[in-house]
Amino acid sequence: MPILKIQDVTKVYEGKVTHRAINQLSFDVMKGEFLAVMGPSGSGKTTLLNLISTIDKPTTGEIIVNEIRPSKLNKHELALFRRRELGFVFQDFNLLPMLTVEENIVLPLTLDGKPVSLMEERVRELAEKLDLTSFLQKKPNEISGGQAQRTAIARALIHEPTLILADEPTGNLDSNNSREVLELLSTINKEKNATIVMVTHDPIAASYCDRVLFIKDGEFFNEIYRDDRRQTFFQRILNVLSLLGGGNVGDLSSIRLP
Amino acid sequence: MFHPEIENGFLGNVSIVGMIIAEIILVLFSWFFIFYSVKAFLEARSKEFAILLHLGMERKQLSKLIFLETLLLGTVSIVVGILFGYAFSRFFFMIVREILILEELPLYFSWEPFLLTITVYLSAFILISILSVYVTPEKNLIDLFKGYSEVNGNHQYSIPRAIIGMVCIAIGYILALLTSRMTMYSFGIAVIILITIGTYLFFSDTTHFILDRIRSKKHLYWKKYRMLSVAEQSMIMKSNSKMFFVVTMVTALAFLCVGLLATLSSYTSQYDKMNPLGLIYKGHTDNPYEYSHITSIMRELEEKGLSYHMASLEVRKQTSSYTRYEVEVFSESDINNLLFSYGYPFVRLEQGEGMFIPYSEESINQLNDINVETVLIENNVNITIDKVYPKVIFPSSIISLNSIIVSDEDFRLLKNPYHGASSDVEPGYHLFAFDIPQWIETKDVGLSIAYRVSQEYLKEEYRLPFYFENAGLNFSFLLSTYSLFTLVGLLVAAVFLLAAGSFIYFKLHTSLELEKKKFDVLKRMGLTDQELKRLINAYLVPQFFIPLGVALLHSLFAFVALQNLLKHIANISIVKELVLAFVFLVIIEVIYFYLIRWRYITHVRDS
Repeated sequence: MPILKIQDVTKVYEGKVTHRAINQLSFDVMKGEFLAVMGPSGSGKTTLLNLISTIDKPTTGEIIVNEIRPSKLNKHELALFRRRELGFVFQDFNLLPMLTVEENIVLPLTLDGKPVSLMEERVRELAEKLDLTSFLQKKPNEISGGQAQRTAIARALIHEPTLILADEPTGNLDSNNSREVLELLSTINKEKNATIVMVTHDPIAASYCDRVLFIKDGEFFNEIYRDDRRQTFFQRILNVLSLLGGGNVGDLSSIRLP
Repeated sequence: MFHPEIENGFLGNVSIVGMIIAEIILVLFSWFFIFYSVKAFLEARSKEFAILLHLGMERKQLSKLIFLETLLLGTVSIVVGILFGYAFSRFFFMIVREILILEELPLYFSWEPFLLTITVYLSAFILISILSVYVTPEKNLIDLFKGYSEVNGNHQYSIPRAIIGMVCIAIGYILALLTSRMTMYSFGIAVIILITIGTYLFFSDTTHFILDRIRSKKHLYWKKYRMLSVAEQSMIMKSNSKMFFVVTMVTALAFLCVGLLATLSSYTSQYDKMNPLGLIYKGHTDNPYEYSHITSIMRELEEKGLSYHMASLEVRKQTSSYTRYEVEVFSESDINNLLFSYGYPFVRLEQGEGMFIPYSEESINQLNDINVETVLIENNVNITIDKVYPKVIFPSSIISLNSIIVSDEDFRLLKNPYHGASSDVEPGYHLFAFDIPQWIETKDVGLSIAYRVSQEYLKEEYRLPFYFENAGLNFSFLLSTYSLFTLVGLLVAAVFLLAAGSFIYFKLHTSLELEKKKFDVLKRMGLTDQELKRLINAYLVPQFFIPLGVALLHSLFAFVALQNLLKHIANISIVKELVLAFVFLVIIEVIYFYLIRWRYITHVRDS
């Protein structure tokens, strides 16, 4: 059952130079799927994420999340929709500096006016799972990048959203922390059957996913599914990337592409 | 200040000195203010400077750039300010004229004020631009790129200090309440020191202590946006406690200014009550000028078209057996003649009865309790005095403290003149009281007589056989001096108040980028528009109104103390004026708050 449906979405930025960021893009995300969206810089990845997170509205086409059409909602309902259905993980964590780690995690629930006992229960559960217990009372500027991103993931999970959106979650992390965070995401995906859409241009990050969707200049380019071994999956991702032309591997074949 | 009419006019030196002091305060404060604002804006632009430095600009060139920019801005603002100022000076003169009740204050042109303004502010801008370049510490490029960040305040509070802060303020308040005339100076200084220290500690420690208490109570704290706003407040308090302290003190100062002025104005407005008569001419019984003076005054009044009622009273001095001192005796019919023009109730006295004449509002109650049986020694007349006239008839400068009314029959018996301790004391006097409904307009009447009286006052001994008092003239002196203070004080207070608000605005401006980012995150997380507004309210309201509230409380106690003092000195109540003034100030502040909130919301929504 698809939890997220993207149907013929086009996004045009009007301005002095009209710019078509997304063009006729369609795909579905199933419940419990861990999807990576890859593409070179300027391919419209972030625009796509903004469209899904209802920060931005598509010019044409329809986005359906969990049978809800955000385009039909008014501003107030949209805010409530984001609060209840979506969870966000950002590249630069975006933890609020004046709140402690614990407070940052419960923030979505406090906004929704949930009882304190429920919040404490969920925090305890998540803190154990994500190994946050040791620094729950610290401020965001007193913890490391990996810890900060784990906190951000906990914040994205605490209200048990339908869909988790991650924008380059490993972009600011070193390789160790990256691996930790990615493994965490994939465990959550498996254990909690959470649906995750992750935008990245790191092929290593993408190799943790079930499926990788490639877009180029706002259009669908290719998609590949993971196989048994991460190593070969990684290799295949690299191959597509080199085909894309904006890839990390210098491949002469890309030159011949129009 | 340079206006020729004011400088040469009758406004005493006092008001000129007052104006100069106010001007110096204003200039100093505006210097400080400009410095602060320039610094705040430079801080907000640090990213831009970082790019310039990154592109290979020398530090010297950057300094030159900032210097030139500030100078350019300064020049433009000075020119515009002077133009506006000159345009509004006509309006300003109108207000001054209205307050001072001057005939006219022509618009004039002289180069002095312009030169003064230009030199003062141009030098300020030059100095400030140099300072702001050199005082700013050499930051690393990387720090500049990151821009202004608030996340450096890891301020620790201590509970003892938090408690000391509260105790200081409490003791200060109690002392202020206990202040009497005796302890005015010592207590006053102690109160000021205590309150200053207390306020500082209040913002640096006590508020954190309280907020921390709230944060530890999850049931209170983890509720909707309350968590965010409380955490935010503690953050703001931590990084800006010094600013809050300054703002509070400045606001308190502004309140004190305005409150003091309100007090003065209440003094002038109650002048009417204390001086019921328009003109009073007092002369010895054998005063040779009496006829000519009275006729000239009457002629002048008629020329002005002022209606008046003149009562001439004969006063005889006698010695009272009760006190052994002199007593001034009025006759019943003379007094009734005067009371008729006031519209006050008449006096009815039987033979042998007497009545006190009160010299002030307060004395009415005091004299009411006194019951005296006395003999006027010179003529052996027995008088029983057990009443007091319930209203003030004469200003205290005219009659002595011992003045009584007796019946006409008794008054006729007082044939033998007073023989006091020395022979040169006059045995009585004639009093000509002019009751004039439009008494404010009499200030030009009898000027020559008033002049002679005031000249005589400067000499060692008062030898003139007459004395003249013109309530209108006195009032216009009083009014012009005090209203000038009022005007200047209001200006100072307005500048202070706006400045206090602006400090907060600058602080908001510099941290705007950070705030925008925060609201962006929250919006993504799903924050409704309503909640956003509420959050901004919860963010801005304490910043504006905590300093205001504390300042209000401070000045409230200051004025309770002042009221206590004034009760001893002059019998005036300042409550009504104070409440009015404070309500006015609070309204201004609320309007200012909404203005800034509106700007802030548009800024945040833009992102």
